[in-house]
Amino acid sequence: MMSLNSKELEESKEITRRAFLKIISGLGLTGLMAGGLSGCVPKQTGEITPPLLAKSKMWPENVVGRIPIDPDNPSIVRYDEKCILCGQCIQACQETQSVYGFYNLPVVDETICINCGQCTLVCPTGAISERDDTRKVLKALADPDKFVVVQTAPATRVALGEEFGMPAGAWVMGQQVAALRRLGFDAVLDTNFTADLTIMEEATELIKRIKGEIDKPLPQFTSCSPGWIKFCEYFYPELLPHMSSCKSPQQMFGALAKTYYAKNKNIPPEKFVSVSIMPCTAKKFEAKRPEMNDSGLCLGKPALRDVDIVLTTRELARLLKQRNIDLNKLPKENYDPLMGESTGGAIIFGATGGVMEAAVRTAYFFVTGQQPPASLFNLTPVRGLSGIKEAQVDIPGAGTVKVAICHGMANGRKVLEKVKQGQSPWHFIEFMACPGGCLGGGGQPRTTALPSDEIRTKRLNSLYQADARWQRRESHENPEVVALYHKFLEHPMSELAEKLLHTEYVSRADKLNRTAVAAARSWKLRVVK
Amino acid sequence: MAKAVLVDITKCVGCGGCTVACKLYNELTWEEKEPQLGEKANLCANNWTVVQKFAVDTPETGVWRYIKRQCMHCLEPACESACFTHSFVKTKEGAVIYKPTELKQDFCVGCRYCMIACPFDIPKFEWDKALPFVRKCRFCNDRLKAGEPPACVSVCPTGALKFGEREELLVEARQRISASPHYVKDIYGEKEYGGTSWLYLSDVPFEKIGLKTTAFEKPVSKEPIPLYSWNVLKWTPYIFVGWGAVLTALHYYTKRRVEVHEEEMYEAVETKEDIKQ
Repeated sequence: MMSLNSKELEESKEITRRAFLKIISGLGLTGLMAGGLSGCVPKQTGEITPPLLAKSKMWPENVVGRIPIDPDNPSIVRYDEKCILCGQCIQACQETQSVYGFYNLPVVDETICINCGQCTLVCPTGAISERDDTRKVLKALADPDKFVVVQTAPATRVALGEEFGMPAGAWVMGQQVAALRRLGFDAVLDTNFTADLTIMEEATELIKRIKGEIDKPLPQFTSCSPGWIKFCEYFYPELLPHMSSCKSPQQMFGALAKTYYAKNKNIPPEKFVSVSIMPCTAKKFEAKRPEMNDSGLCLGKPALRDVDIVLTTRELARLLKQRNIDLNKLPKENYDPLMGESTGGAIIFGATGGVMEAAVRTAYFFVTGQQPPASLFNLTPVRGLSGIKEAQVDIPGAGTVKVAICHGMANGRKVLEKVKQGQSPWHFIEFMACPGGCLGGGGQPRTTALPSDEIRTKRLNSLYQADARWQRRESHENPEVVALYHKFLEHPMSELAEKLLHTEYVSRADKLNRTAVAAARSWKLRVVK
Repeated sequence: MAKAVLVDITKCVGCGGCTVACKLYNELTWEEKEPQLGEKANLCANNWTVVQKFAVDTPETGVWRYIKRQCMHCLEPACESACFTHSFVKTKEGAVIYKPTELKQDFCVGCRYCMIACPFDIPKFEWDKALPFVRKCRFCNDRLKAGEPPACVSVCPTGALKFGEREELLVEARQRISASPHYVKDIYGEKEYGGTSWLYLSDVPFEKIGLKTTAFEKPVSKEPIPLYSWNVLKWTPYIFVGWGAVLTALHYYTKRRVEVHEEEMYEAVETKEDIKQ
């Protein structure tokens, strides 16, 4: 180093400076070039092109089409960037639910949708999804002035675990309650409580219909599935008198939460936020139906909604993951009192045939005043996943009650056609919009393969096992329901019960171009060759 | 023969599958601000086809109608005639294509005359790029050449889009109109601006679903737009040759006149000198 004379040093410095300037100017030029030319390079959007479509020579063998979804749909949304036109939504909508292709074109002023969400389960890219309401819940939870109450549907407790790596059908009722408490809900209550209540009202209504005490036709249809209700309003409005006037358990809960519960806990109803966790996307629509503000009407504040926010099972799982709450690590906790107790009859609401079985148990008790026989606690003909099921039950004093159960509206349509033609031998029919009932609902966790009976059977077995081990298995035995009637509603179908727990239905026939339905069926699934 | 597509508005269910098919097949990008389905849908550099929603009031009730919009592929395209670099061409299969992107022949200078010339406001410019192109529906030219329908038509689940020979589709459209009293008794695109390769049938007036029926407060022309400039430009050779002839004649006339004048002057001078001698 010492041998380096000053001249050499200066030279090397100079070279360095020159080189530096060269580099800088080179960078500048490159920068200019890059800046100028970047416009010519296709923009990377970060979207993954499905391998199916990466090769254009595959086109259009695997490209079929898709169903219409209105951007304002309260239940489901579609991200067009992800759509690959595989046509599986068409299959679900047309073959499982018999909606798409079963009305004539041109459209009137509505995109026909029963909000069931089956398309969200079959969409392979997740393009179709539930409308995300988690932000509304977070906002309500963050507000110290609000008293946020949550209810959980019967079928979420056998499916939520799947989102956290548990096997299908894992029973996570206790962990779910604990998780909801960790999220900050002020009260964690159970929709099963109002499922029992629904049975009380619905069984009473059925007996009254059979005995001819009310002027309504037989068979009576169940009214727990909002997708099914909308289906009937669209396609079979003439059969709406058959529909039980009972609200669904979610809406019964909503109506009672802001009246009965709020009164008991001394909470002003305006500060009350009612959230529900449902396996169903149609529940989002149901909660937004204009007539679902009976608690508000009762309190003289018509702007109040019975249920404010509906989350699906998937949204709840997302919320928990966002907050780093792992269901696996949570203890089992119990529901809060007053509206948290349930019976086995309510638990099986989540499975196809469950409403029927629970109703039959309680109807038997109502008519005879006696415990139902053991066979009614394992009513095998109404269980299982076959599309249309039939059974008959002898109830002393009411005779033989013939019942039918169907799930998936394509099956429902077959039953409805029979009823329409007057060939129905049944007294009571259970309809569930989704295959398998609520446990296969459109808001349930997505499976890696297409939704299958394998998964549904596991969830179904889990529900029936819970029913079998439950201490109380008949809805009328629910002590909190008994207390509710004692303190508040007096008796099933009382004036107040009619006001809060029952509803009316509207024909949506005018939304449907029914001029030539036969011709409409000709636009079946078209696979392009 | 030239291919065409018949769009039956009354059969559209509004799924927007055609717009997705276009994006997938032509590898176009998605922009959140540029929806391709709904009331706010509009054509842009990356939306070559959109499905627009219109709430139309009818005598009985209000109805929704969906209309697929894209390049109409005019039989005599205005863009083709307006472009002085011949960047547009109407192929024999019926597509109006933009050569710089379609055939990799870079003629376009970016003057955007085509955008002004187009009566349907179809060609869109890549405003955000340094070396932009004009972009629009290409009728899936490669598929058309192979005899296949364009991507959008191939995915229409309700049969609202029908691909075929233009003449045959016109016959079918007339049959549909006569079979049902609901249709407007007209086929949009049959004669508009000299006829287009995309034809529309509707049960509500065309202007209510965004189709152009008037221009400058007059019904749209049945004449192709290039005809307007042709009516003027066709005189170019005559004027060119004629004016040349006139000028030449003038030139010879003046030249001759100068010659005559000089000769006369010369003669006059000689005459004077002759007189002196």
